[in-house]
Amino acid sequence: MAKDMTLLWGSGSPPCWRVMIALEEKNLQGYNQKLFSFEKKEHKSKEVMAMNPRGQLPAFKHKDVVLNESYGACMYLANQFKSQGTKLIPDCPAEQAMMYQRMFEALTFGQKMGDVIYYTYKVPEGERHDSAVKRNREALTAEIKLWEGYLQKGSGSFLAGKTFSLADVVVYPSIAYIFRFGLCEERYPKLAAYYNTLKNRPSIKASWPPTWLDSQGQDTLKDI
Amino acid sequence: MAKDMTLLWGSGSPPCWRVMIALEEKNLQGYNQKLLDFAKGDHKSPEVMAMNPRGQLPAFKCGKNVLNESLAACMYLENQFKSQGNKLIPDCPAEQAMMYQRMFEGLTFSQKMGDVIYYTYKVPEGERHDSAVKRNREALAAEIKLWEGYLEKGSGSFLAGKTFSLADVVVYPSIAYLFRFQLCEERYPKLAAYYNSLKVRPSIKASWPPTWLDTHGPEMLHDI
Repeated sequence: MAKDMTLLWGSGSPPCWRVMIALEEKNLQGYNQKLFSFEKKEHKSKEVMAMNPRGQLPAFKHKDVVLNESYGACMYLANQFKSQGTKLIPDCPAEQAMMYQRMFEALTFGQKMGDVIYYTYKVPEGERHDSAVKRNREALTAEIKLWEGYLQKGSGSFLAGKTFSLADVVVYPSIAYIFRFGLCEERYPKLAAYYNTLKNRPSIKASWPPTWLDSQGQDTLKDI
Repeated sequence: MAKDMTLLWGSGSPPCWRVMIALEEKNLQGYNQKLLDFAKGDHKSPEVMAMNPRGQLPAFKCGKNVLNESLAACMYLENQFKSQGNKLIPDCPAEQAMMYQRMFEGLTFSQKMGDVIYYTYKVPEGERHDSAVKRNREALAAEIKLWEGYLEKGSGSFLAGKTFSLADVVVYPSIAYLFRFQLCEERYPKLAAYYNSLKVRPSIKASWPPTWLDTHGPEMLHDI
Protein backbone atom coordinates (compact mmCIF):
# COMPACT_ATOMS: atom_id res chain seq x y z
CA MET A 1 0.00 0.00 0.00
CA ALA A 2 2.37 2.67 1.26
CA LYS A 3 5.10 1.24 -0.99
CA ASP A 4 2.94 2.18 -4.00
CA MET A 5 2.84 5.80 -2.83
CA THR A 6 5.19 8.69 -3.46
CA LEU A 7 5.10 12.12 -1.89
CA LEU A 8 7.22 15.07 -3.00
CA TRP A 9 7.12 17.68 -0.26
CA GLY A 10 8.63 20.78 1.34
CA SER A 11 9.25 21.29 5.06
CA GLY A 12 6.73 23.48 6.86
CA SER A 13 4.41 23.88 3.90
CA PRO A 14 0.90 23.40 5.33
CA PRO A 15 -0.44 21.67 2.19
CA CYS A 16 2.41 19.12 2.29
CA TRP A 17 2.08 18.61 6.01
CA ARG A 18 -1.65 17.84 5.70
CA VAL A 19 -0.98 14.89 3.42
CA MET A 20 1.73 13.58 5.74
CA ILE A 21 -0.61 13.73 8.73
CA ALA A 22 -3.30 11.91 6.75
CA LEU A 23 -0.83 9.19 5.72
CA GLU A 24 0.25 8.71 9.35
CA GLU A 25 -3.35 8.65 10.62
CA LYS A 26 -4.18 5.95 8.06
CA ASN A 27 -1.16 3.83 9.10
CA LEU A 28 0.46 4.30 5.73
CA GLN A 29 3.99 4.86 7.01
CA GLY A 30 6.74 3.70 4.70
CA TYR A 31 5.61 5.67 1.65
CA ASN A 32 8.32 6.84 -0.73
CA GLN A 33 9.08 10.49 -0.19
CA LYS A 34 11.51 13.23 -1.19
CA LEU A 35 12.09 16.54 0.55
CA PHE A 36 12.54 19.61 -1.65
CA SER A 37 13.58 23.15 -0.85
CA PHE A 38 11.29 26.04 -1.83
CA GLU A 39 14.11 28.49 -1.18
CA LYS A 40 16.24 26.76 -3.81
CA LYS A 41 13.20 26.82 -6.15
CA GLU A 42 13.23 23.03 -6.32
CA HIS A 43 9.45 23.01 -6.62
CA LYS A 44 10.04 24.10 -10.22
CA SER A 45 12.55 21.30 -10.89
CA LYS A 46 12.03 18.73 -13.64
CA GLU A 47 11.33 16.02 -11.08
CA VAL A 48 8.43 17.93 -9.54
CA MET A 49 7.13 19.22 -12.90
CA ALA A 50 7.00 15.64 -14.15
CA MET A 51 4.50 14.75 -11.43
CA ASN A 52 2.88 18.17 -11.14
CA PRO A 53 2.95 20.46 -14.20
CA ARG A 54 1.88 23.33 -11.95
CA GLY A 55 5.29 23.14 -10.25
CA GLN A 56 3.77 23.02 -6.78
CA LEU A 57 4.13 20.82 -3.73
CA PRO A 58 2.75 18.49 -2.52
CA ALA A 59 2.85 16.15 -5.49
CA PHE A 60 1.35 12.79 -4.50
CA LYS A 61 1.05 9.54 -6.40
CA HIS A 62 -0.61 6.23 -5.53
CA LYS A 63 0.07 3.63 -8.22
CA ASP A 64 -1.25 5.37 -11.36
CA VAL A 65 -3.28 7.95 -9.51
CA VAL A 66 -1.86 11.46 -9.11
CA LEU A 67 -3.22 13.96 -6.59
CA ASN A 68 -1.50 17.31 -6.51
CA GLU A 69 -4.07 19.03 -4.34
CA SER A 70 -3.62 18.49 -0.61
CA TYR A 71 -7.35 18.39 0.15
CA GLY A 72 -7.83 15.99 -2.76
CA ALA A 73 -5.12 13.67 -1.45
CA CYS A 74 -6.49 13.78 2.11
CA MET A 75 -10.06 13.06 1.02
CA TYR A 76 -8.88 10.28 -1.28
CA LEU A 77 -6.89 8.66 1.52
CA ALA A 78 -9.77 8.99 3.99
CA ASN A 79 -12.11 7.31 1.50
CA GLN A 80 -9.82 4.61 0.10
CA PHE A 81 -8.50 3.51 3.48
CA LYS A 82 -11.66 3.83 5.55
CA SER A 83 -11.08 0.53 7.27
CA GLN A 84 -7.61 1.21 8.60
CA GLY A 85 -6.09 3.70 10.98
CA THR A 86 -8.11 6.57 12.47
CA LYS A 87 -11.63 7.22 11.24
CA LEU A 88 -11.28 10.72 9.82
CA ILE A 89 -14.83 11.46 8.68
CA PRO A 90 -17.41 11.29 11.52
CA ASP A 91 -20.69 9.45 10.92
CA CYS A 92 -22.71 11.80 13.12
CA PRO A 93 -24.30 14.30 10.68
CA ALA A 94 -23.72 17.32 12.93
CA GLU A 95 -20.02 16.55 13.42
CA GLN A 96 -19.62 15.71 9.76
CA ALA A 97 -21.21 18.99 8.72
CA MET A 98 -19.00 20.90 11.15
CA MET A 99 -15.96 19.05 9.81
CA TYR A 100 -16.71 20.05 6.21
CA GLN A 101 -17.57 23.61 7.21
CA ARG A 102 -14.28 24.12 9.06
CA MET A 103 -12.22 22.35 6.37
CA PHE A 104 -13.43 24.71 3.71
CA GLU A 105 -13.39 27.84 5.86
CA ALA A 106 -9.74 26.99 6.40
CA LEU A 107 -9.07 27.80 2.77
CA THR A 108 -10.12 31.37 3.52
CA PHE A 109 -7.88 31.33 6.59
CA GLY A 110 -4.94 30.02 4.52
CA GLN A 111 -5.51 32.69 1.92
CA LYS A 112 -5.56 35.57 4.42
CA MET A 113 -2.46 34.16 6.09
CA GLY A 114 -0.70 33.98 2.73
CA ASP A 115 -1.71 37.55 1.86
CA VAL A 116 0.32 38.70 4.88
CA ILE A 117 3.18 36.21 5.07
CA TYR A 118 3.84 35.97 1.32
CA TYR A 119 3.10 39.61 0.46
CA THR A 120 6.54 40.50 -0.87
CA TYR A 121 6.80 37.15 -2.63
CA LYS A 122 3.47 37.55 -4.44
CA VAL A 123 3.37 41.30 -5.11
CA PRO A 124 6.05 42.87 -7.33
CA GLU A 125 7.86 45.81 -5.72
CA GLY A 126 6.24 48.51 -7.83
CA GLU A 127 2.75 47.33 -6.85
CA ARG A 128 3.15 47.23 -3.07
CA HIS A 129 1.20 49.60 -0.85
CA ASP A 130 1.26 50.19 2.90
CA SER A 131 -2.52 50.44 2.72
CA ALA A 132 -2.69 46.90 1.33
CA VAL A 133 -0.30 45.55 3.95
CA LYS A 134 -2.42 47.19 6.66
CA ARG A 135 -5.67 45.88 5.23
CA ASN A 136 -4.29 42.35 4.87
CA ARG A 137 -3.07 42.34 8.48
CA GLU A 138 -6.46 43.56 9.71
CA ALA A 139 -8.23 40.86 7.70
CA LEU A 140 -5.91 38.19 9.09
CA THR A 141 -6.44 39.44 12.64
CA ALA A 142 -10.21 39.23 12.23
CA GLU A 143 -9.88 35.74 10.77
CA ILE A 144 -7.65 34.51 13.62
CA LYS A 145 -10.11 35.92 16.18
CA LEU A 146 -12.87 33.99 14.43
CA TRP A 147 -10.97 30.70 14.85
CA GLU A 148 -10.17 31.51 18.48
CA GLY A 149 -13.94 31.87 18.88
CA TYR A 150 -14.63 28.57 17.13
CA LEU A 151 -12.40 26.76 19.62
CA GLN A 152 -13.96 28.64 22.53
CA LYS A 153 -17.54 27.81 21.59
CA GLY A 154 -16.93 24.40 20.03
CA SER A 155 -18.47 21.27 21.50
CA GLY A 156 -15.13 19.51 22.02
CA SER A 157 -11.40 20.04 21.80
CA PHE A 158 -11.22 19.31 18.08
CA LEU A 159 -12.42 21.47 15.22
CA ALA A 160 -15.44 19.29 14.36
CA GLY A 161 -16.31 18.56 18.00
CA LYS A 162 -15.27 15.69 20.19
CA THR A 163 -13.17 13.65 17.80
CA PHE A 164 -10.09 14.26 15.65
CA SER A 165 -11.15 14.51 12.01
CA LEU A 166 -10.10 15.62 8.55
CA ALA A 167 -10.77 19.18 9.73
CA ASP A 168 -7.86 18.89 12.16
CA VAL A 169 -5.67 17.14 9.55
CA VAL A 170 -6.22 19.99 7.17
CA VAL A 171 -6.25 22.99 9.53
CA TYR A 172 -3.66 22.10 12.20
CA PRO A 173 -0.70 22.79 9.86
CA SER A 174 -1.97 26.32 9.19
CA ILE A 175 -2.45 26.98 12.90
CA ALA A 176 1.05 25.69 13.60
CA TYR A 177 2.27 27.98 10.80
CA ILE A 178 0.88 31.13 12.42
CA PHE A 179 2.64 30.29 15.68
CA ARG A 180 5.82 29.56 13.72
CA PHE A 181 5.53 33.09 12.36
CA GLY A 182 5.32 34.56 15.84
CA LEU A 183 1.62 34.74 16.76
CA CYS A 184 1.31 35.59 20.43
CA GLU A 185 0.12 32.60 22.47
CA GLU A 186 -1.14 34.74 25.37
CA ARG A 187 -3.38 36.71 23.05
CA TYR A 188 -4.98 33.57 21.56
CA PRO A 189 -5.12 31.03 24.38
CA LYS A 190 -7.56 28.61 22.77
CA LEU A 191 -5.58 28.40 19.54
CA ALA A 192 -2.38 28.03 21.57
CA ALA A 193 -3.88 25.21 23.65
CA TYR A 194 -5.07 23.43 20.49
CA TYR A 195 -1.63 23.89 18.90
CA ASN A 196 0.28 22.67 21.95
CA THR A 197 -1.94 19.70 22.79
CA LEU A 198 -1.87 18.31 19.28
CA LYS A 199 1.93 18.63 19.06
CA ASN A 200 2.07 15.29 20.83
CA ARG A 201 -0.37 13.44 18.65
CA PRO A 202 1.70 10.66 17.00
CA SER A 203 0.80 11.62 13.42
CA ILE A 204 1.74 15.24 14.06
CA LYS A 205 4.89 14.48 15.98
CA ALA A 206 6.04 12.06 13.27
CA SER A 207 5.51 14.61 10.50
CA TRP A 208 6.70 17.76 12.30
CA PRO A 209 8.62 19.92 9.80
CA PRO A 210 12.29 18.91 10.10
CA THR A 211 13.53 22.45 9.38
CA TRP A 212 11.57 23.72 12.40
CA LEU A 213 13.29 21.50 14.92
CA ASP A 214 16.47 23.46 15.50
CA SER A 215 15.54 26.96 14.48
CA GLN A 216 13.31 29.84 15.49
CA GLY A 217 10.60 31.03 13.19
CA GLN A 218 10.01 34.60 12.15
CA ASP A 219 8.09 37.28 14.05
CA THR A 220 5.96 38.55 11.17
CA LEU A 221 2.76 37.93 13.15
CA LYS A 222 4.04 39.02 16.55
CA ASP A 223 1.78 42.08 16.76
CA ILE A 224 -1.32 40.52 15.22
CA MET B 1 -35.83 16.22 3.79
CA ALA B 2 -35.75 19.15 1.38
CA LYS B 3 -38.33 20.89 3.55
CA ASP B 4 -35.78 20.99 6.37
CA MET B 5 -33.30 22.80 4.14
CA THR B 6 -32.87 26.50 3.46
CA LEU B 7 -30.62 28.14 0.89
CA LEU B 8 -29.92 31.85 0.65
CA TRP B 9 -28.39 32.54 -2.74
CA GLY B 10 -27.49 35.04 -5.42
CA SER B 11 -28.05 34.58 -9.16
CA GLY B 12 -25.00 33.62 -11.21
CA SER B 13 -22.71 33.21 -8.23
CA PRO B 14 -20.77 29.98 -8.91
CA PRO B 15 -20.61 28.97 -5.23
CA CYS B 16 -24.41 29.31 -4.91
CA TRP B 17 -25.03 27.53 -8.18
CA ARG B 18 -22.88 24.54 -7.11
CA VAL B 19 -25.14 23.89 -4.13
CA MET B 20 -28.27 24.18 -6.26
CA ILE B 21 -26.93 21.67 -8.80
CA ALA B 22 -26.06 19.27 -5.97
CA LEU B 23 -29.55 19.60 -4.47
CA GLU B 24 -31.14 18.86 -7.88
CA GLU B 25 -28.82 15.91 -8.52
CA LYS B 26 -29.78 14.41 -5.15
CA ASN B 27 -33.53 14.86 -5.86
CA LEU B 28 -33.88 17.39 -3.09
CA GLN B 29 -36.14 19.80 -4.97
CA GLY B 30 -38.55 21.74 -2.80
CA TYR B 31 -35.97 23.16 -0.41
CA ASN B 32 -36.74 26.58 1.06
CA GLN B 33 -34.82 29.26 -0.74
CA LYS B 34 -34.47 33.01 -1.06
CA LEU B 35 -32.88 34.89 -3.93
CA LEU B 36 -30.81 37.84 -2.81
CA ASP B 37 -29.09 40.63 -4.68
CA PHE B 38 -25.34 41.23 -4.31
CA ALA B 39 -25.62 44.59 -6.06
CA LYS B 40 -28.01 45.81 -3.34
CA GLY B 41 -25.70 44.54 -0.59
CA ASP B 42 -28.26 41.91 0.48
CA HIS B 43 -25.42 39.53 1.36
CA LYS B 44 -24.58 41.82 4.29
CA SER B 45 -28.18 42.02 5.49
CA PRO B 46 -29.20 40.89 9.01
CA GLU B 47 -30.99 37.89 7.47
CA VAL B 48 -27.83 36.57 5.84
CA MET B 49 -25.56 37.54 8.74
CA ALA B 50 -27.82 35.55 11.07
CA MET B 51 -27.09 32.39 9.09
CA ASN B 52 -23.60 33.34 7.94
CA PRO B 53 -21.62 35.79 10.07
CA ARG B 54 -19.18 36.17 7.18
CA GLY B 55 -21.92 37.92 5.18
CA GLN B 56 -21.42 35.67 2.16
CA LEU B 57 -23.62 33.55 -0.07
CA PRO B 58 -24.44 30.72 -0.26
CA ALA B 59 -25.73 30.33 3.25
CA PHE B 60 -27.18 26.84 3.61
CA LYS B 61 -28.91 25.11 6.46
CA CYS B 62 -29.80 21.44 6.58
CA GLY B 63 -31.87 20.76 9.70
CA LYS B 64 -29.72 22.26 12.46
CA ASN B 65 -26.53 22.01 10.43
CA VAL B 66 -25.21 25.16 8.84
CA LEU B 67 -22.91 24.88 5.85
CA ASN B 68 -21.80 28.21 4.49
CA GLU B 69 -19.07 26.84 2.28
CA SER B 70 -20.26 25.62 -1.13
CA LEU B 71 -17.89 22.66 -1.31
CA ALA B 72 -18.77 21.69 2.26
CA ALA B 73 -22.48 21.74 1.39
CA CYS B 74 -21.91 19.67 -1.77
CA MET B 75 -19.78 17.06 0.00
CA TYR B 76 -22.17 16.87 2.93
CA LEU B 77 -25.19 16.39 0.64
CA GLU B 78 -23.49 13.62 -1.33
CA ASN B 79 -22.50 11.85 1.88
CA GLN B 80 -25.86 12.20 3.62
CA PHE B 81 -27.95 11.31 0.57
CA LYS B 82 -25.75 8.67 -1.05
CA SER B 83 -28.67 6.39 -1.72
CA GLN B 84 -30.84 8.85 -3.62
CA GLY B 85 -30.51 10.73 -6.86
CA ASN B 86 -27.31 10.49 -8.89
CA LYS B 87 -24.12 9.04 -7.44
CA LEU B 88 -21.71 11.98 -7.40
CA ILE B 89 -18.55 10.33 -6.04
CA PRO B 90 -17.30 7.46 -8.26
CA ASP B 91 -16.23 4.20 -6.60
CA CYS B 92 -13.46 3.53 -9.12
CA PRO B 93 -10.25 4.81 -7.41
CA ALA B 94 -8.87 6.38 -10.59
CA GLU B 95 -12.07 8.31 -11.34
CA GLN B 96 -12.48 9.25 -7.70
CA ALA B 97 -8.95 10.62 -7.53
CA MET B 98 -9.44 12.54 -10.77
CA MET B 99 -12.68 13.94 -9.36
CA TYR B 100 -10.92 15.22 -6.23
CA GLN B 101 -8.00 16.56 -8.24
CA ARG B 102 -10.25 18.56 -10.57
CA MET B 103 -12.58 19.74 -7.79
CA PHE B 104 -9.74 21.30 -5.90
CA GLU B 105 -7.94 22.60 -8.95
CA GLY B 106 -11.30 24.19 -9.68
CA LEU B 107 -10.70 26.47 -6.71
CA THR B 108 -7.45 27.75 -8.22
CA PHE B 109 -9.33 28.33 -11.47
CA SER B 110 -12.07 30.20 -9.63
CA GLN B 111 -9.50 32.34 -7.83
CA LYS B 112 -7.72 33.38 -11.03
CA MET B 113 -11.06 34.16 -12.62
CA GLY B 114 -11.98 36.34 -9.63
CA ASP B 115 -8.65 38.16 -9.78
CA VAL B 116 -9.64 39.39 -13.24
CA ILE B 117 -13.41 39.76 -13.01
CA TYR B 118 -13.54 41.26 -9.51
CA TYR B 119 -10.34 43.35 -9.75
CA THR B 120 -11.94 46.74 -9.27
CA TYR B 121 -14.22 45.36 -6.58
CA LYS B 122 -11.37 43.88 -4.55
CA VAL B 123 -8.58 46.40 -5.13
CA PRO B 124 -9.06 50.00 -3.93
CA GLU B 125 -8.48 52.63 -6.63
CA GLY B 126 -5.17 53.87 -5.27
CA GLU B 127 -3.69 50.38 -5.35
CA ARG B 128 -4.56 49.37 -8.90
CA HIS B 129 -1.84 48.81 -11.49
CA ASP B 130 -1.99 48.00 -15.19
CA SER B 131 0.87 45.58 -14.59
CA ALA B 132 -1.32 43.65 -12.13
CA VAL B 133 -4.31 43.61 -14.48
CA LYS B 134 -2.04 42.31 -17.26
CA ARG B 135 -0.50 39.65 -15.05
CA ASN B 136 -3.87 38.49 -13.78
CA ARG B 137 -5.24 38.20 -17.33
CA GLU B 138 -2.19 36.19 -18.42
CA ALA B 139 -2.55 33.88 -15.43
CA LEU B 140 -6.23 33.35 -16.22
CA ALA B 141 -5.49 32.69 -19.91
CA ALA B 142 -2.91 30.05 -18.91
CA GLU B 143 -5.38 28.48 -16.47
CA ILE B 144 -8.17 28.35 -19.06
CA LYS B 145 -5.80 26.72 -21.58
CA LEU B 146 -4.98 24.12 -18.94
CA TRP B 147 -8.68 23.20 -18.57
CA GLU B 148 -9.15 23.12 -22.34
CA GLY B 149 -6.32 20.58 -22.30
CA TYR B 150 -7.92 18.56 -19.50
CA LEU B 151 -11.09 18.16 -21.57
CA GLU B 152 -9.05 17.35 -24.68
CA LYS B 153 -7.02 14.61 -23.02
CA GLY B 154 -9.64 13.35 -20.56
CA SER B 155 -10.97 9.79 -20.73
CA GLY B 156 -14.60 10.85 -21.09
CA SER B 157 -16.81 13.89 -21.56
CA PHE B 158 -16.91 14.77 -17.86
CA LEU B 159 -14.16 16.21 -15.72
CA ALA B 160 -13.47 12.99 -13.80
CA GLY B 161 -13.88 10.74 -16.82
CA LYS B 162 -16.96 8.92 -18.09
CA THR B 163 -19.48 9.91 -15.46
CA PHE B 164 -20.89 13.17 -14.10
CA SER B 165 -19.46 13.77 -10.64
CA LEU B 166 -18.91 16.33 -7.90
CA ALA B 167 -16.09 17.72 -10.07
CA ASP B 168 -18.69 18.80 -12.63
CA VAL B 169 -21.06 20.09 -9.91
CA VAL B 170 -18.26 22.28 -8.56
CA VAL B 171 -16.51 23.40 -11.74
CA TYR B 172 -19.37 23.74 -14.28
CA PRO B 173 -20.66 27.01 -12.75
CA SER B 174 -17.21 28.58 -13.08
CA ILE B 175 -16.91 27.47 -16.70
CA ALA B 176 -20.37 28.86 -17.41
CA TYR B 177 -19.26 32.08 -15.73
CA LEU B 178 -16.36 32.42 -18.19
CA PHE B 179 -18.75 32.19 -21.13
CA ARG B 180 -21.16 34.57 -19.43
CA PHE B 181 -18.29 37.07 -19.44
CA GLN B 182 -17.91 36.40 -23.15
CA LEU B 183 -14.98 34.00 -23.35
CA CYS B 184 -14.59 33.17 -27.03
CA GLU B 185 -16.14 29.77 -27.83
CA GLU B 186 -14.14 29.32 -31.04
CA ARG B 187 -10.88 29.77 -29.19
CA TYR B 188 -11.77 27.12 -26.58
CA PRO B 189 -13.83 24.50 -28.40
CA LYS B 190 -13.61 21.74 -25.78
CA LEU B 191 -14.69 24.04 -22.96
CA ALA B 192 -17.47 25.38 -25.18
CA ALA B 193 -18.67 21.86 -26.01
CA TYR B 194 -18.65 20.92 -22.31
CA TYR B 195 -20.51 24.12 -21.43
CA ASN B 196 -23.12 23.70 -24.16
CA SER B 197 -23.83 20.01 -23.76
CA LEU B 198 -24.30 20.29 -19.99
CA LYS B 199 -26.70 23.23 -20.37
CA VAL B 200 -29.46 20.70 -20.96
CA ARG B 201 -28.69 18.45 -18.02
CA PRO B 202 -31.85 18.64 -15.84
CA SER B 203 -30.04 19.80 -12.67
CA ILE B 204 -28.25 22.55 -14.56
CA LYS B 205 -31.25 23.64 -16.57
CA ALA B 206 -33.39 23.78 -13.41
CA SER B 207 -30.85 25.94 -11.58
CA TRP B 208 -29.73 28.19 -14.45
CA PRO B 209 -29.21 31.73 -13.08
CA PRO B 210 -32.51 33.56 -13.58
CA THR B 211 -30.80 36.91 -14.22
CA TRP B 212 -28.91 35.38 -17.17
CA LEU B 213 -31.97 34.33 -19.10
CA ASP B 214 -32.73 37.51 -20.99
CA THR B 215 -29.45 39.36 -20.90
CA HIS B 216 -25.87 39.26 -22.14
CA GLY B 217 -22.96 39.39 -19.72
CA PRO B 218 -20.11 41.94 -19.75
CA GLU B 219 -17.41 41.49 -22.40
CA MET B 220 -14.58 41.27 -19.94
CA LEU B 221 -13.08 37.96 -21.10
CA HIS B 222 -13.67 38.42 -24.82
CA ASP B 223 -9.98 38.81 -25.68
CA ILE B 224 -8.60 36.16 -23.35
